[in-house]
Amino acid sequence: MTTVAMKPPVPAAGRSPKKKTSPGGGISRYLLIRFLLIFPTIFILVSMVFWLMRTTGDPITAALGGKLGPDQLAELISNAGYDRPIFIQYVEYLGQVFTGNFGTTISTNRPVSEVLFTYGSATAELVFYSLIVAFIVGIPLGMIAAYWRDKAPDAFLRVFAILCYATPVFFAGLLLKLVFAVWFKILPPSGRASIGSELQMQLLPDKTGIYFIDAIKTGDPMVLSDVLMHAVLPALALGLLTAGVFLRLVRTNVIGTLGTDYVNAARSRGVNEFRLVRTHAYRPALIPIITVIGLQVALLLGGAVLTETTFEWKGLGFVLIEFIKARDFVAVQGIVALLAVIVALSNFIVDIIAALIDPRVRY
Amino acid sequence: MATLTSDTTHSPKAPLWTRLPIVHQVRQSVGLQRGMLVAGLIITGIFILTAIFAPLLAPYGFSQLRDENGTFGAQLEPGGNHLLGTTVGGYDVLSRVIWGSQTAIAVMVVAVVLSIFAGVALGLVSGYFGGWLDRVLVVVCDAVYAFPALLLAIVMGIVISGGRSDLIGGILAAAISITVVFIPQYFRVIRAETVRIKAEAYVESARVLGASSGRIMFRHVLRNATRTLPLIFTLNASEALLTLAGLGFIGFGIEPSSAAEWGYDLNKSLSDVTSGIWWSSLFPGLAIVLVVLGITLVGESLNDLADPRLRSRRAPGKNAGVVAATSVVAGGTLTAGPGGVDGLETSPPLPDVHPNDDPFEAK
Amino acid sequence: MTSAFTNGKRALVATTGIALAALVLSGCAAGGGTNTDSSGGPITIGTTDKVTALDPAGSYDAASFAVQTQVFPFLLNSKFGTADVEPDIAVSAEFTAPTEYTVVLKPDLKWANGNDLTSSDVKFSFDRQLAIADDLGPSSLLYNLESTEAVDDTTVVFTLKAGNDQIFPQILSSPAGVLVDEDSFSATEITSDDDIVAAEAFAGQYVLTSYDFNNLLAYKAYDGYQGLLGAAKTDVINVKYFTDASNLKLEVQEGGIDVAYRSLSATDIDDLRGNDAVKVVDGPGGEIRYITFNFNTQPYGATTADADPAKALAVRAAVADVVDREELADQVYKGTYTPLYSYVPAGLTGANESLKGLYGDGNGAPDIEKAAADLAAAGVPTPIALNLQYNADHYGPGSSDEYALIKSQLDASGLFDVSLQSTEWVQYSKDRVADVYPAYQLGWFPDYSDADNYLAPFFAEGNFLKNHFDDAEVTALIQKQAVTNDAEERTALIEEIQDKVAAQLSTVPLLQGAQVAITGTDITGTADTLDASFKFRYGALAKG
Repeated sequence: MTTVAMKPPVPAAGRSPKKKTSPGGGISRYLLIRFLLIFPTIFILVSMVFWLMRTTGDPITAALGGKLGPDQLAELISNAGYDRPIFIQYVEYLGQVFTGNFGTTISTNRPVSEVLFTYGSATAELVFYSLIVAFIVGIPLGMIAAYWRDKAPDAFLRVFAILCYATPVFFAGLLLKLVFAVWFKILPPSGRASIGSELQMQLLPDKTGIYFIDAIKTGDPMVLSDVLMHAVLPALALGLLTAGVFLRLVRTNVIGTLGTDYVNAARSRGVNEFRLVRTHAYRPALIPIITVIGLQVALLLGGAVLTETTFEWKGLGFVLIEFIKARDFVAVQGIVALLAVIVALSNFIVDIIAALIDPRVRY
Repeated sequence: MATLTSDTTHSPKAPLWTRLPIVHQVRQSVGLQRGMLVAGLIITGIFILTAIFAPLLAPYGFSQLRDENGTFGAQLEPGGNHLLGTTVGGYDVLSRVIWGSQTAIAVMVVAVVLSIFAGVALGLVSGYFGGWLDRVLVVVCDAVYAFPALLLAIVMGIVISGGRSDLIGGILAAAISITVVFIPQYFRVIRAETVRIKAEAYVESARVLGASSGRIMFRHVLRNATRTLPLIFTLNASEALLTLAGLGFIGFGIEPSSAAEWGYDLNKSLSDVTSGIWWSSLFPGLAIVLVVLGITLVGESLNDLADPRLRSRRAPGKNAGVVAATSVVAGGTLTAGPGGVDGLETSPPLPDVHPNDDPFEAK
Repeated sequence: MTSAFTNGKRALVATTGIALAALVLSGCAAGGGTNTDSSGGPITIGTTDKVTALDPAGSYDAASFAVQTQVFPFLLNSKFGTADVEPDIAVSAEFTAPTEYTVVLKPDLKWANGNDLTSSDVKFSFDRQLAIADDLGPSSLLYNLESTEAVDDTTVVFTLKAGNDQIFPQILSSPAGVLVDEDSFSATEITSDDDIVAAEAFAGQYVLTSYDFNNLLAYKAYDGYQGLLGAAKTDVINVKYFTDASNLKLEVQEGGIDVAYRSLSATDIDDLRGNDAVKVVDGPGGEIRYITFNFNTQPYGATTADADPAKALAVRAAVADVVDREELADQVYKGTYTPLYSYVPAGLTGANESLKGLYGDGNGAPDIEKAAADLAAAGVPTPIALNLQYNADHYGPGSSDEYALIKSQLDASGLFDVSLQSTEWVQYSKDRVADVYPAYQLGWFPDYSDADNYLAPFFAEGNFLKNHFDDAEVTALIQKQAVTNDAEERTALIEEIQDKVAAQLSTVPLLQGAQVAITGTDITGTADTLDASFKFRYGALAKG
């Protein structure tokens, strides 16, 4: 989603008078507080998921509701302990999370850590490719839009940005598949690799689950090209969504910084307008973009759910839906805990980078 | 203070209708910006009119499968009695697309109303009272913001409606999950304004004079927040529609005999496309894209007009540096618009990253 | 590999700069170890199944059983083309006493890992099924098994609770009858998929050589297989798991996979029937779809204000009279489902068409006048308000269209005023047994291919429908057929049960699913395995 009013940070003028911290608080204290904030964030998300999931039913009914009568179901549910007071189950669950024990999935009987690793690496790969697309498409186009502000290219690019955002990712995916896989037949319609390549990568002794790396390890250039070909359409579908956000953000911020004294000074020195955009206005505009990337992680992970389903990309988002349908509490909680950690960590890292780039955020 | 000034500097000569929201902005805008705003308004207007007059416009009912000549037949090509053909289930595509606008508008209205009330209330409370409540709310909102909306919507759908995919349940599922995700955005804006205004001298003096400070807060906060609210507002609406469509796509949509829903129809027709049946997916897909496009165009235009740095100049000049100064004058009335004097005042060259005052001194 | 080669070509188009090099490379790749031989080359199968576990004690679903069928041995099984079971890795299997079922194994059987396959493995398999009794496992199917004894290396004696159980041989070919290696499986816990694959604890037609859960499975024919089905025709089978049926359709249409089995949408199958590049192979299906009536809460049901069993029956009969199964099968399912006029689907021993003569025009088509007259005779005022429930996510994507059309048919007759609602599966499963739904959709996929599996779970006392249908005579007949040794007598009983239930309409059967496989034109043998056993055996397939 396009995030509102993302502008470079500054020690705000209208800060609350209640603030007792001295302006020279130091970066270490700032980072420490930021870091400690990760824990309540994760705690809140994990608790939310626990309570929501428990109100939606149990995994046994989900699997066998069409086969067994209510008495047999009730007995199984009781054996599994899902009929105990929910608060006790909650405390128990928190204890497990605290000790880092994610348990074994109920519906597929696999260790949650393994599920997280297998599907997590797939999602990480997809999100990484998408970010590349988003950067390559979003940032230059944003600068172009800012340069030709209020001219035809700007209008065109802005509508393009909105369209990227407005088109549901599965609709865009469908169109991409139709054009490139069915009509032109130059790209595979779905999956992460063709079967031959996957079998080759399966044989690797230490697979990472990230196909790009595994493909390199096989040493077969065909496998690598195969894997990359499969990544093009999903990366485009998800990447363009984010590119729209980046485009808008770069444009807004470059236009904003173009009006600053520092750029005006450069302009008065006779630096040409394009160079102004490219160097002088662009760099300060970077900070909000970095900030937004942190927020985009949540969006990308959410968007990945639909992209993964559309393109058979077996990642976290895709299995999460399956696990929700199966009411596999253990698996859902594990995955959401991981998502929470990723989102919290990426926000933390973004804060650090922002603080390093712009000393004014440090107090 | 800005807001007080703006109250007293009402331009008495401007006729009332030009001071109405939207109309004012259209008058204020120039060139491409006006074009985008007007285009957005037209699309949105058509959408709203379609929703209102759906019973008159649609040739058939949304769940109608037969007329006096028997069943329509499935997957009929466009033409004849069915201008846009029929779906795999034998529904008339045109009627489903037209009726779908009602469902779309319902989910948007519910989502926006819920988010605004909850977000504004929480933001006011948090900013006004401060202290530990404030800190807790900020952390909770940050955490919730990180939760992928679609996943929340799936679980919410099950929790809210007990999994019944009727009209009310489907709309509430999408709307409430979107509300949960958007509350933090309203919260941030409102809270930042509250914190700022609370410190203003006039609030103190009003309080001394015996006026209810809560009422003052409310009025001024809202007045100032109108600068960023329209964009959040429209994002909120489009995100609600996209989430509803996403729910429909992964199979948690609204049951077709309860209501027409574009995402559901799109999901149902995905497999048609590879068989050369394009009409059943294209039109609901286009409907989603167009509506989100229209609303986003309006939102972005309003946001730009409210932000002096982004507002188009009436007389385009080479020197971008004077935009901020000239635009206010060029924009005409300084009062009723969300930009106005406040826009100038609260737009330092580098304002806050988030319009929020972080109780943990971050960002 | 076909697909590797296609991708080679794709690479060529995209990377024009190194076009020639890519061509050479793709040639190399295609000529590599996974090359397509002219005869008996590897076959790639695509499916939208979702496996839950490889361990037979931890899974009770069609998708997991589809894998287990290929790699694990059974005591009894059915040959290609039939559903009737006979000894598989056994030389004999018979009742030696009313409660003693004795199976003698073939001698010198081996697991793929070299372990001996003996009666001790058999005892172990059934004991652990009962001991683990996993929440999501099939141990409930072994309801009649008292104990298992290994008399000697090749003789196993099952002691049953109730004697002369005609179903027990079927159970031995069901998900509960899968045999496992006692040296590789845990006796008390579900063994993980990876451990099973690593231990090579297989002895079916195939062994699994590579296991990427719910993504890609690679099978290789097992040389030591001595079972009923004979050696596999194709040495290497790869199975790719898809999540979206339209992707599966695209792949089979573009030649990326050789066989698509379960489940393509009706639209896709219809489209592929007109495509010369693929063959569409149909076989009988065991899946059924029906409407269940809750005898308490349906209109005029036992707990309603105006309870009247005669009127309630008239309402059910009117639904059976008015519903147009042909239209459902044609419009919604395009022939992938066929009309079902009884409780036991066509293709199984004992199936009849008991509803055909009783309801509608007598030939399977609807008869609104008859329904109106019967309702008037019973004193039921029309239109009847009927709440009809269905589930959109458990029985395939056609459900919503199917039920929308049923509503439309019932409403159009003028006799009903249907309000239709769908509910997410878990809630649906809870609500339906809590008397929340007066009339609702259900479907059934059999555990074993015998008429009993379509009668006992539904209409006997304590059935899983919990719809308050209770008929002592039907229950007695169901119990009787289960212990009737004479095949003809048993068939007559099964037919009688269907007639009796049809007269009372505990449920209204609607449709029977066909098994449909889409294959490349060079694939043979598909029709052999699309039989009433509903087990899709990869060993029947061959290429070229």
